[in-house]
Amino acid sequence: MIGFLQPLALVGLVLGAIPPLLHLLGRRRPPTVVFPAIQYLTATEREHSRRLKLRNLLLMLLRVAVIVLLVLAAARPVIRVGGGSSHPPTSLGLVLDNSLSSSAVVAGQRTLDVLKERARAVIEQATEDDRLWLVLADAIPQRVSRVDALALIDSIGAWPVRLDLGEAGRVAARVVSEAGLPHEEVVVLSDLQASALSAGEAPDVPILVLEPPPPPGNLGVDSAIADPLIWSPGGAVVASLGGLGEDPRAVQLLLRDRAVARAVGVAGDQIVLTGRGLGGGWTRAAVQLDPDELRADDQWWLSVRLGNPAAIHVEPGAGRFVQEAVRVLVQGGLAEEGDGVTVTDRLFAGVTVLLPPSDRSLVGATNRALESRGVSTRFGDLLEGEWVLEGGVGPIAGIPVYRRHRLRGNGSVLATVAGEPWLVRDGDVIAVGSRLEDTWTALPVSAAFVPFLDFLLNRAAATQTWIVRGTPGVMVPIPSPVATIDLPAGSMPIPADRRIVGPMATGVYFLLSETGDTVGALEVNHDPRESRLVPATRAQTRAAFGSQSAILSERAFERELFGGARRADLAGVLLVAALLAALAELGIATFLGARGAE
Amino acid sequence: MVTGRRLDLLDPYEVAQLGGIELGARGVVEGFLAGLHRSPFRGFSVEFAEHRHYQPGDELRYLDWKILARADKLFVKQYEEETNLRAMIVLDVSRSMDWAGRERTLTKLEYAKRLVAALSLVLLRQRDATGLIGFDEEVRKVVRARARHQHWWQLLSALVELKAGRGTVAEPALHKVTDLLTRRGLVVFVSDLLLDQRMAMLALQYLRHRGHQVTVFHIMDPAELSIEGPPEARFEDPETGEGIVARPRELRGVYEDTVRKSVARWEAACRRGGIDYHHVLTDTPFGYVLRRASARRARLG
Repeated sequence: MIGFLQPLALVGLVLGAIPPLLHLLGRRRPPTVVFPAIQYLTATEREHSRRLKLRNLLLMLLRVAVIVLLVLAAARPVIRVGGGSSHPPTSLGLVLDNSLSSSAVVAGQRTLDVLKERARAVIEQATEDDRLWLVLADAIPQRVSRVDALALIDSIGAWPVRLDLGEAGRVAARVVSEAGLPHEEVVVLSDLQASALSAGEAPDVPILVLEPPPPPGNLGVDSAIADPLIWSPGGAVVASLGGLGEDPRAVQLLLRDRAVARAVGVAGDQIVLTGRGLGGGWTRAAVQLDPDELRADDQWWLSVRLGNPAAIHVEPGAGRFVQEAVRVLVQGGLAEEGDGVTVTDRLFAGVTVLLPPSDRSLVGATNRALESRGVSTRFGDLLEGEWVLEGGVGPIAGIPVYRRHRLRGNGSVLATVAGEPWLVRDGDVIAVGSRLEDTWTALPVSAAFVPFLDFLLNRAAATQTWIVRGTPGVMVPIPSPVATIDLPAGSMPIPADRRIVGPMATGVYFLLSETGDTVGALEVNHDPRESRLVPATRAQTRAAFGSQSAILSERAFERELFGGARRADLAGVLLVAALLAALAELGIATFLGARGAE
Repeated sequence: MVTGRRLDLLDPYEVAQLGGIELGARGVVEGFLAGLHRSPFRGFSVEFAEHRHYQPGDELRYLDWKILARADKLFVKQYEEETNLRAMIVLDVSRSMDWAGRERTLTKLEYAKRLVAALSLVLLRQRDATGLIGFDEEVRKVVRARARHQHWWQLLSALVELKAGRGTVAEPALHKVTDLLTRRGLVVFVSDLLLDQRMAMLALQYLRHRGHQVTVFHIMDPAELSIEGPPEARFEDPETGEGIVARPRELRGVYEDTVRKSVARWEAACRRGGIDYHHVLTDTPFGYVLRRASARRARLG
């Protein structure tokens, strides 16, 4: 059976009509030449017309044949040679996609189980003379024997990782092409997600892709973030849903495995789940969808820090507006009196919200105190004018500011005025550019003042937390205050390069300081792209694997397997035939013409 | 420049550029006769007839030494038998003769007229009675054979008057010869032979049967030996207007073969019939043609 690797080139067969068309066009109205010796010409024509017609017909056929043979050669025809299960030694790369999406259940059967069954069938057809490489979801080719391959295939399960299938196929192609055997082939067994097929340089190895089953509808959690990061004691989680399908699904927020909030959503929704924490400290949370055909993406892990109300001490220099507002917070249970956070215009030990001194002559002393404490923030020039507050610290945006100090330093800017820092955190000192009095800013006399202070005292001034997000098997950087990570097998020190591989099990892993305090969490979740089960088109497959790739049905796959070894490319033969036809044409055109002259 | 050179050996087109038929023919004949050691077409008999001025080419043994001694003038003795020869030149003036394959060459008709003029001058200088018949589809012109020297002017006048006609049918003209030549004589047939060979040969053989000596000049343009032209063309017969579409490149070889065979057939047929045949290309100097013809006649006796 003949097939074509470049079937589009067959369109060029119409070019075969060129010689007859040129012949017909050339026959139009030939010029007249007066020639008295026409009786010789007539006699010549009469005696040789049959031979000339045959010669012309032969030339025409040869010209058409040259074009047709060249076009057919361009179409890269291949023909199967030999038969049965035997085949010459072959380098075979088997890409078995056991990424997260392969755990989807289609028609009551897990996709991975179907793929494993096909993989076993492929391996069983291999002979001892073949060289086998197995590429799993980590995209690392493993040289395996038949026995090892079968054992490995039997043992593997779906990994909660994303596989770049395009890169995996190309890696497999590179490996088999370097094996040195005469025949090479890559087999891809996958659900063939379009999102997994990255385009790249086309490999020069035939890649057989088994046609995937139709994908099930799927809804997954794409992300979930606590807002705020520290609940005191309540807060919210913003979750994004992605995938296919329009059926609404129930989604719930779990805190310490207890459902604290519920909602309903569809793909593309962003859902806010609010809850109230129980107790204090770090809490493992999860946003969970009702299960569907792909369960591995139905849950998203996150961490929530439950904090107690801040213990506030207000120095007289902070001004009466601050004193009144803190009193309101205390009465509302959002703050307590204590020494946790000091609001003052002089630098104190501990967490401090530092306002500009009421006496300008004390600015220098304040800056020197900041310097001696190792804080980079400095109060600069006093500016007077009218600006508005900018930034996302509570509902303060747009509130006028009349007087302010320029703030200099390397701290993190929480709010700005006229594009310049106005609220800056550096270490445990939060500096404010204006005194919180009505002659400096309209903020103290606005409704946003108490929420602003709530944010300032309960969130911004609280101890900094470190949230790191990663996916299984992927390296993640760990911030410097973290000394160890709490894994199920025990605490593991953070390596010197401060990078660790994301644990293969999704979940929340707490990060500990040298003193053993929890300072953050590593949230390990699936890659949302694995939730997109839409299969790739043939064009996308060709873009990823090149023109020698093909998506094959079960039967075609069975037929073409190891076909590279039993398949002959006829392009060379056709090119030789075209050359011979061209030479024959040349010979007939010249030799027979010369014969006539004899 | 051709001044001082023998016109009989020049390219016919160059000779034609010197002037009319008369001038060219004279020059050719002078050159032709100057290169001969004896008169070309006739022998000399024993019965004295008259004296005539010595012409270059006359054999010295017929010089009248007495007159030379007395008057210091060159005269040769001419005999009665010399005037017995009567020649009829049959010239084909059909449309096919009025064709030249390329520029700066004579058409077959122009060449044939000049050849006839030269030939008749040679004959008349030998006091042979010479006549002319021009024909195409029919007899177009008849000039009876006369031996007078001034007769050449009549022949020239007839040649000038003869224009290209249409088709070619030689038999009436050849039959006309039998009416005009009652005694055995010489028939010179000048044609491109693009006619019915079988019928023409029958007529020529009839003449031969009547005891005439027959000479055929087969006039052919060099461009007729091969076939040239655009990749595909309709080749049209100027006489009939009929055409044939052909590709010169494809047919050239076999066409040349056909022409060669046709010439060979004419030559063989003439040889079998005792007819003197000359294949003449229109770029052949007239002197060569005359010399070849005279040599052949000398051999034939």
